[in-house]
Amino acid sequence: MRMGRPARSIALPLMSGYYFSILHGALLTVAVSLASLAAATLIGLAGAAAKLSGRRPLVWAATFYTTVVRGIPELLMMLLVFYGGAIGLNTLLEALGHDEGVDLDPFVAGVLTIGFIYGAYMTETFRGAILAIPRGQMEAAWAFGMGRGRTFLRITLPQMVRYALPSFTNNWLVLIKATALVSLIGLHDMTYLAKQSSAAVREPFAFFLFTAALYLAYTSLSLWVLRRVSARYSLGADKVQL
Amino acid sequence: MNWEVIFQPDTLALYGQGLVVTLQLTLISLAVGAVLALLCALALVSNQRLLRWPAQAFTYFMRGTPLLIQVYLIYYGFAQLEWVQARWDTVWPWTHFKEPFFCALLSFSLNTAAYTAEMLAGSIRETGKGEVEAARAMGMGPWLLMRRIVLPGAIRRMLPAYGNEVVMMLHSSSLASTVPALLDLTGAASRVYADFYLPFEAYLFAAAIYLCITLGLIGATRLLERRYLGYLTHRKS
Amino acid sequence: MSNPVKLQVQDIHKRYGANEVLKGVSLTAHGGDVISIIGSSGSGKSTLLRCINLLERPQQGRILVAGEELHLRPGRDGALEAADQRQLQRLRTRLAMVFQHFNLWAHKTVLGNITEAPVHVLGLPRDEAVERARKYLRLVGLEGREDTYPNHMSGGQQQRVAIARALAVEPEVMLFDEPTSALDPELVGEVLRVMQVLAQEGRTMVVVTHEMGFAREVANHVIFLHQGLIEEQGDPREVMARPRSERLARFLSGNLK
Repeated sequence: MRMGRPARSIALPLMSGYYFSILHGALLTVAVSLASLAAATLIGLAGAAAKLSGRRPLVWAATFYTTVVRGIPELLMMLLVFYGGAIGLNTLLEALGHDEGVDLDPFVAGVLTIGFIYGAYMTETFRGAILAIPRGQMEAAWAFGMGRGRTFLRITLPQMVRYALPSFTNNWLVLIKATALVSLIGLHDMTYLAKQSSAAVREPFAFFLFTAALYLAYTSLSLWVLRRVSARYSLGADKVQL
Repeated sequence: MNWEVIFQPDTLALYGQGLVVTLQLTLISLAVGAVLALLCALALVSNQRLLRWPAQAFTYFMRGTPLLIQVYLIYYGFAQLEWVQARWDTVWPWTHFKEPFFCALLSFSLNTAAYTAEMLAGSIRETGKGEVEAARAMGMGPWLLMRRIVLPGAIRRMLPAYGNEVVMMLHSSSLASTVPALLDLTGAASRVYADFYLPFEAYLFAAAIYLCITLGLIGATRLLERRYLGYLTHRKS
Repeated sequence: MSNPVKLQVQDIHKRYGANEVLKGVSLTAHGGDVISIIGSSGSGKSTLLRCINLLERPQQGRILVAGEELHLRPGRDGALEAADQRQLQRLRTRLAMVFQHFNLWAHKTVLGNITEAPVHVLGLPRDEAVERARKYLRLVGLEGREDTYPNHMSGGQQQRVAIARALAVEPEVMLFDEPTSALDPELVGEVLRVMQVLAQEGRTMVVVTHEMGFAREVANHVIFLHQGLIEEQGDPREVMARPRSERLARFLSGNLK
């Protein structure tokens, strides 16, 4: 593919500043993704517990949550939370007597939204994993006098991790890519900075390819790490295919 | 909350326009993507390294980077190339690169092609060795084998995962709203928000429409699964 | 006889929906007894055993372990449940179960499996638990296999580990739920041999089994269950050689061992 401009214009002195800013944005991308993952995992564990509890209101609430959240586009949810949430929050504050408006921090909005969305996927991940554990494992624990709590911590949870890893890994990889959407609500992640840089210098191809490479590195590294974790957890059992 | 504005005919028409674009993008991308996926999947399972490596590189890139970046690469990136700019007024395929709809469509198609190709390749690899051996023993050549034995089974097995991919494509189409001058359902909601300053109502209405279509798609997938996967007996629970 | 009663189970009724599986079954085990429960599929034998440690919940009945009665109360669904969870857990440690499908914890090594209950339920210090584990591993003939994972062992080996795991809590009564039914024929013998050693040591055992040889040679009491009721019971050498009940005679002739 012939690029019309001479190679010189991608030379280091002019462009390096922009590349470095994109790298800086990469740090924010990592922060958003890890924070969202933590939120999603916590919500997922709670959601799975609710769905498996057998108590109808909990099951119903959790099912409503996972159905609705997985039924609308992430971008839409993010816009809803960011623009709708800001106004909603301000309306609430006005009603309570505060006159100054509050700006919803885009980082918080982004993390809450992505965490909330992927919490629904994690709920299904953890629920499926717990159901996959053969019942005999828990029965043996009960037969030896272990209570529900201890059985969950020492028998169910460790085994759940093994069964959950493939689906968890998949959710994580999708989550990483979803973080690019926070650029649309003004967060200076690497996608935002790539777009800015390409508008400033008119070299979109170079910057976006660079950003793409960074995402590739992030997802590939994650996959490598999680494959090793999965292998370690499979020591006691058959190989799980990722 | 002010819902009267949403239900005015003008506003509803705007949503309707957006919905049409969304559906067009979704369906055409899926169709084009499916054809590309078939070719790519055959390359992925092929013994020829010359076929396999480019296919693997393609799926690796498409599945490892965000769709948003892919849209930007095609819309802003390709459009920047002087080579393309020189041709896009006159030479046929490149004329389309001026159109935002085409750029969005291209990125969506390539994206779904990559995911679907990996899905199909995985499904092909799961074909029972016994089925293949039986076909070979009857004298079937490789193309006939692929066409009549391997692919039908692989495509059927893939049905649940592909149903999911269809829903994903519907949701991904909302990224068309990031392309200037393209109005899909999400873009319509953003326009209503901008015009009337009612983000909740505007976006919730769009969300409800997406949700209905999604639930419809899931229901249709389940029906298809029951009809075409019935022969796969459930393992004892 | 100064032989204490280790286990007493009275008038157990168990129903699944409309299907009454146990219609009033009682059982008493003195120290050193090896009780064998036999019967065709559906007779309720496994259900009875699983009611003893409340893995199944009967609708009616009493359970006494070493003289202590397990306090039961009716639950929401009509079946009885433990009134005191702590008591249930404590009594469960006085009974130990060996399962048909071994149920060894897949993510733990052999040593981990055997020491889990002693350390985390009985509160034993780790070295003591490890010593016990080694002792019982030697007894079942699997010395040196502490660091192996269950799925790297044969069925017979896994079941022997399960037996060591049950021994490690030093229970009053050991419950065996069809311990050899899931094993390949050539592996059955190694498990039965271990069980015979335990019986000879004087341990109290309740065994649900299809192995008629074991019932005849090792058990000192056999119970024949038919459709939820005890059809006949007694000394195996009497009952199995000269069954009084016609059903038992038919059952035994259908079992070649």
